Amino acid sequence: MEIQAKNNIHIPGGDISFNADQLSVSNEDILKNLGMQLADADDYILTLIEQAKDVCFKHVKANACYAFIDNFSICVDKQEIVLNDKRFGAGKLVTSFLKKSEKIVVFTCTIGDDVEKESKRLMADGNALEGFLYDIIGSELAECVADGLHNHIEKLVAGYGMMVSNRYSPGYCNWSVSDQHKLFSLLNGNTCGITLTESSLMLPVKSVSGILGVGGNMRRLKYKCNICNDKDCILRKK
Amino acid sequence: MDKNELITKLTECVESGKVNKAAPYPPAMKGQDGADELTKKALEAGVKPVEILNDALITAMDRVGKKFSQKKIFVPQMLISAKAMNVAMVHLKPFFQSGEVKRKGKFIIGTVSGDLHDIGKNLVSMIVEGAGWEVIDLGVDVKATKFIETIKEHPDAIVGLSALLTTTMPNMQQIVAEIKSQFPDVKLIIGGAPVNEDFKNEIGADGYSPDPQSAVSYLNSLVA
Repeated sequence: MEIQAKNNIHIPGGDISFNADQLSVSNEDILKNLGMQLADADDYILTLIEQAKDVCFKHVKANACYAFIDNFSICVDKQEIVLNDKRFGAGKLVTSFLKKSEKIVVFTCTIGDDVEKESKRLMADGNALEGFLYDIIGSELAECVADGLHNHIEKLVAGYGMMVSNRYSPGYCNWSVSDQHKLFSLLNGNTCGITLTESSLMLPVKSVSGILGVGGNMRRLKYKCNICNDKDCILRKK
Repeated sequence: MDKNELITKLTECVESGKVNKAAPYPPAMKGQDGADELTKKALEAGVKPVEILNDALITAMDRVGKKFSQKKIFVPQMLISAKAMNVAMVHLKPFFQSGEVKRKGKFIIGTVSGDLHDIGKNLVSMIVEGAGWEVIDLGVDVKATKFIETIKEHPDAIVGLSALLTTTMPNMQQIVAEIKSQFPDVKLIIGGAPVNEDFKNEIGADGYSPDPQSAVSYLNSLVA
């Protein structure tokens, strides 16, 4: 069954910046990336985490860009989404959860490349643990910026009586990362300075791209892993 | 300290992550010599470099890898131990260059194209190096052509492929096929969160490693 956009109201896209004090990363989330819980961490590790957070937050240049796509269709049977005539093999899960969308939002966001550079410098100097912590904090910060953008769009569309779905990214939920180039083309060059490599990886590395659905019957679910059957996904294993 | 005491103490330092005298970790060893000072003292005392490598450093990192597999320690402790080992290895570098000390073999490792996650790969690299192997790390987003070029330079090497995204598993399959088509005898081991033993069999790789220590066990089994 093919589902077409139903809402004729056009909402302009935009840019949004975040200050470091608008972002937060919990020690629990950092430790999860290390396979640990708070109770497993000694004072030395906790001190290193706090020091790393201080430096990383100073290096953050958080920006997000988004565009509303009105011309789209979603086919759950084909597991395909068509956005402005570009076809995306987004997979069964993504098409199922976006099928009630009245608009699709395409977005990118980034924290810049300073945290990544610091991480690599530390690793090159033989300080693998510190470099690893910077890398984890950078990833968490990028997700935090994506959360901030998600919240921004949620508030924006609430003014039109609509709600948002969860967000989905190429590379996850069985959606091939190779669709990144097509996704970026929908942003008309406004990608927060993020570029793609030949193999579709984002530079700066600490960036997030994806789509989310907007409509009167959309739901933003809290526990994403409960709705996905991909038992091998890294997000589930974390 | 006699030679045996130096080896025992050095092993303890690497295992517990005591890098040097100034290092604050672990707190219980504050102010004591670390791997840096003890390696130097061991060489000055006439301990053979190969004994330092085998009896202290490899022994310590083997214990670290096993404790990590058993979840008795976590990534941070493993990285601190790897740092202590690396500091000790700096003193042994001239003996590797002269040929007095030899590695067990060469291990080429990289994260497959389309994937830039390198933490798991780096952990495996550190533990494999600590087990006495020369590691050639190709980094992330590595295409089949890069693996093949490197295998041509080091035809006796064993190759490790890492992936973290489920959507880059097909790239791993393609790289394995391309390597095997040109180098059918090269041993390939795969690892990363989304892969498993079944996937290893499906794509024709030779080994699957769920953690760094099992990668070492697999590599050591090939040279035993």
